[in-house]
Amino acid sequence: MTAATTRLSSRFSLPQLSSRQQLGAFLLALLLAFAWLVPWLFDADPARQQLTRILQAPSLAEPFGTDHLGRSMLARLAAAIRLSLGMALLSVATAAIPGVLLGVVAGWRGGWSDRLLGSLADACLALPGLLLVLLLVAIAPGNFWALYVGISLVLWIEYFRVVRARTQALVTSPQIEASRLLGFGPTMLFRRHLWPELAPQVFTLAAFGAASAILAMAALGFVSVGLRPPTAELGLMMIELLPYYHEAPWAMAQPIIVLFVVVMSLNLLAGKDPR
Amino acid sequence: MTSRWTQGLGRLLLSRLFQAGLVAWLVGTLTFILTRSLPGDMAYRIAAGRYGYDMVDGAAAEAVRAELALDQPAAGAYFSWLWDLLQLDLGRSLVSGNPVIQELSHQLGHSLSLAIIAVLLSLLIGPPLGLVAGLKPGGMLDRSSEVAANVLRALPPFAVGLLLIMLFAVTLGWLPVAGHGSALHNVLPALTLALGLAAVSSRVARNAMADVSHSAYYAFSRTKGLNERQSFMRHGLRNAAVPVVAYLGVQFVYLIEGVVVVETLFAWPGIGHALVHAIVARDVPMIQGTALVMGLLFVMLNTAVDIACHFLDPRRRHA
Amino acid sequence: MKRSSAAWLAILASFNTWAADRSLDIAAPWEIKSADPSTSGYVFSRMRVAENLVTTDNQGQLAPGLASAWEVSDDGLEWRFTLRENAHFHDGTAVSADAVVNSLEASIAKPGMLDTAPIASVEAVGDDVVIKLESAFAPLPALLAHSTTLILAEAAYAENGDVTQMIGSGPYQVDELSPPQRMTVTRFDDYWGAAPAIAAASYLAVSRGETRALMAESGDADIVFTLDPASQARLSRNASLSLHSEPLPRTIMLKLNASHPFLDDKRARQALSMAIDRAGIAAGLLRAPEAAATELFPESLGAWHLGVAPSSGQDIEKAQALLAELGWEPNEEGLLERDGQPFKLTLRTYADRPELPLVATALQSQWRELGVDLEVAVGNASAIPSGHHDDSLEVGLSGRNYGLVPNPLVSLLDDIGSDPDNMGGDWGTMNWRDDEVAEWLDTLRQSTEEQALNDLAPLVAERLHQEMPLIPVAWYQQTAAVSDEVEGFSIDPLERSYRIDQMEWAE
Repeated sequence: MTAATTRLSSRFSLPQLSSRQQLGAFLLALLLAFAWLVPWLFDADPARQQLTRILQAPSLAEPFGTDHLGRSMLARLAAAIRLSLGMALLSVATAAIPGVLLGVVAGWRGGWSDRLLGSLADACLALPGLLLVLLLVAIAPGNFWALYVGISLVLWIEYFRVVRARTQALVTSPQIEASRLLGFGPTMLFRRHLWPELAPQVFTLAAFGAASAILAMAALGFVSVGLRPPTAELGLMMIELLPYYHEAPWAMAQPIIVLFVVVMSLNLLAGKDPR
Repeated sequence: MTSRWTQGLGRLLLSRLFQAGLVAWLVGTLTFILTRSLPGDMAYRIAAGRYGYDMVDGAAAEAVRAELALDQPAAGAYFSWLWDLLQLDLGRSLVSGNPVIQELSHQLGHSLSLAIIAVLLSLLIGPPLGLVAGLKPGGMLDRSSEVAANVLRALPPFAVGLLLIMLFAVTLGWLPVAGHGSALHNVLPALTLALGLAAVSSRVARNAMADVSHSAYYAFSRTKGLNERQSFMRHGLRNAAVPVVAYLGVQFVYLIEGVVVVETLFAWPGIGHALVHAIVARDVPMIQGTALVMGLLFVMLNTAVDIACHFLDPRRRHA
Repeated sequence: MKRSSAAWLAILASFNTWAADRSLDIAAPWEIKSADPSTSGYVFSRMRVAENLVTTDNQGQLAPGLASAWEVSDDGLEWRFTLRENAHFHDGTAVSADAVVNSLEASIAKPGMLDTAPIASVEAVGDDVVIKLESAFAPLPALLAHSTTLILAEAAYAENGDVTQMIGSGPYQVDELSPPQRMTVTRFDDYWGAAPAIAAASYLAVSRGETRALMAESGDADIVFTLDPASQARLSRNASLSLHSEPLPRTIMLKLNASHPFLDDKRARQALSMAIDRAGIAAGLLRAPEAAATELFPESLGAWHLGVAPSSGQDIEKAQALLAELGWEPNEEGLLERDGQPFKLTLRTYADRPELPLVATALQSQWRELGVDLEVAVGNASAIPSGHHDDSLEVGLSGRNYGLVPNPLVSLLDDIGSDPDNMGGDWGTMNWRDDEVAEWLDTLRQSTEEQALNDLAPLVAERLHQEMPLIPVAWYQQTAAVSDEVEGFSIDPLERSYRIDQMEWAE
């Protein structure tokens, strides 16, 4: 399938998913079903330790094996997907909503509002994101939401930049000019003309943004920041299991594979690659 | 034409210079406010940073408090910092006692060499792959490079680094595992960073190329009789290069984050590593200095990217 | 070593030669902060760059260092150290009494080990150094063996007392010092003692355990210290390496706030101790079954070690019975409650030692079985001493080193104290008072006699074991992976020296 047909199908039949998007939706649904069905079907506590049964390979009793404290990987993975996906969505939303709105305003209005917002974004981008996140963690220790919101403070600029550039190009397009002459209001213009064009790119950014947020958690855990036992979180699971990479590679691979499925499915759903 | 062109460039540089000033003030003020609002006793943190966990105790903390006059009111401390900054004096590290400038120049050099090699490597890997994939969207190469990019985006950098160490240092024995000092020590950490960057830049290049190869002027270049290679070289490459170079600006942000992990894994004495330690130890002058230098560096790199785009894309010169 | 590709060999040869000046490469987790002994003295002491007045022999007993002998006056207030005659600093100057006084005064001015002793003055009297005290302090020589009391040349100090350059008197001198990661040293030819066999060595601070293990495996480092438990099994199967392990006088222990309403009764503290599965933590997490700490002091601490039988393991039921005596009843969720208050505590620990958060997570789960809700806060090491001072600490988990100096009494005077009205210390007991323990420690502080130690140390240890103001969890093991190209390797349990001057290259 070419990019052109993807674009066509997304423009003329929004609710209908392309086969690429169907695959993405299927993968995501599978993941969500796993996360919510496991605690329902299996009676496993993600925090329960059995120090005599550490790092056991997958078996019938423990289909995903056990971690370095003898906890059930199945239960932990399900709990981690619920937490991380929720948190990643929160962080993506807090980044995307202001990013898209400000981007549209800057691209549409142009002039001083564009310059003002543009230099604000540039200044924020120049602030080392890591510094901001680390300081926020230090201010609110042990709070996952503070971490993710801190991460999203860094990520909103990407949406802003992409949306602004696309809006600038779209506002001068003949279709919008025509609609404007017909007397449609800004909300209608945004819904009819801007959003369908912006959506695939915003979603692609969101897919990578969700992965970035989870990997940023792992990176923070790597420098011993943000740990809060016994919570199961994808990024922190990667770092907790890192020392056992040789003994139990299958254990460390699990959160990574989950993250890969998340990124892949969101990317497929978005239908298009980032620009 | 030329005068307008240089005028555009001049305005660009001027606005960037203004931005640099803004960033310096913003970064300094923000880090000042944030570090002041950090919970916990600063004297204890600094003492732990200096003397280590075996030796930190109340007596050490009190000695630090007295030595550094930590009881100074916030406003005074802020203005004295700003005044020193105007004189290009970043102060002394509270932990090591050395001038911040001296510590930074040492660490920044190490990080920059790593970052530059990483960006060059990523440019060698990512865009060529993306360009070839973009010539045939939906082809085998496109599909497999997409999966590879997604795998690399889902792998934490420490896992990539670990795999590279196991392959190139332990199994093959070609490269040293960690440390610094020789040119060979650069290869693995830079490659770890480069793979993450290339994952994204290959996709950016692929999309740009796919757009170009579907554009009217590209189709026209083929109908006017140029062969595939000629139209790629004359029209494809230059047009696809703009978004790739423009995206580099955003990539530097990822680079700085990746640097922390890579520096810790490979025992590299860089600035990311220093920043984490400075925050843990509440070494405020070091935090401010590091943030300032990173911010200014970012503005500089973005200026370079802008200038490159300016050269590549004639349309921008009139903007 | 698996060096295969011929193309690389030429380049590789530059850093892996078999020339006579081959460097002994050491990798360890501790970073070098600066040249100052008050912050990074341990690196210079371990790499044998700088020396103390007093040193230790391979059995851990005090031995003459730069001081060839010392004596104390009868009232215990005046110590006289006689200096070695033929010792020189790396800049060529002699180790004179003036230089020693200069060094000691600089180290007294900074936070460090000498804070503990009531020092009135340090003077050069002829060729001797005389230290006068305000009150008797028997373990003084042990303090002078600590890395914050290293003796440096006068040229090492700036006018304000800061150390700008490392000029010691050890068998190795600093070639290149690039904090925080690297230091290279070469043999010092004018050393007063026996000339070491190995001509050059390097130190690399590598904070991640995984990286260190891989460096041992690839042959990048000849000696790698502190192996993470998960890598040990893999490295032990490597034929070109040998694994060494030695118990350290360092204990992972819980510091309890004894005035906290839940913890002020010794039965509550005993119950918490009983609920800990020490064998599980030692075998499962630390991968060293012998690390299970049935008491505070490990065997290497001699008279302080009681020899409690390892059979006294986890006993949840007995612990619950003890807590029931204090009025704690389980609620429907299995959590203990008293007067409507849940048994909820916050534990502070730090990640500088990577096993601590792991042990904290295990404790959380084990105390949950007892019905205690433990919240784990992983932060900075300083959170424990600062929580001690502002009284906000409930439970702290730390790895306390009783071998900071060759005499554990010094740590105990700091941690427990000899003044009954002011007991406790930053890394020791908190709001716990026992007049007898204070009196015993005070006697030990003043007495230089062996018999006093043998009589009183077990009494102190026994009382601590009964009262549990500090709950021991595990003892540390120092581990090292050593290339089989190195001979004569041994671990110093006091971590004062890497003993590189005693090693040689295998033929």
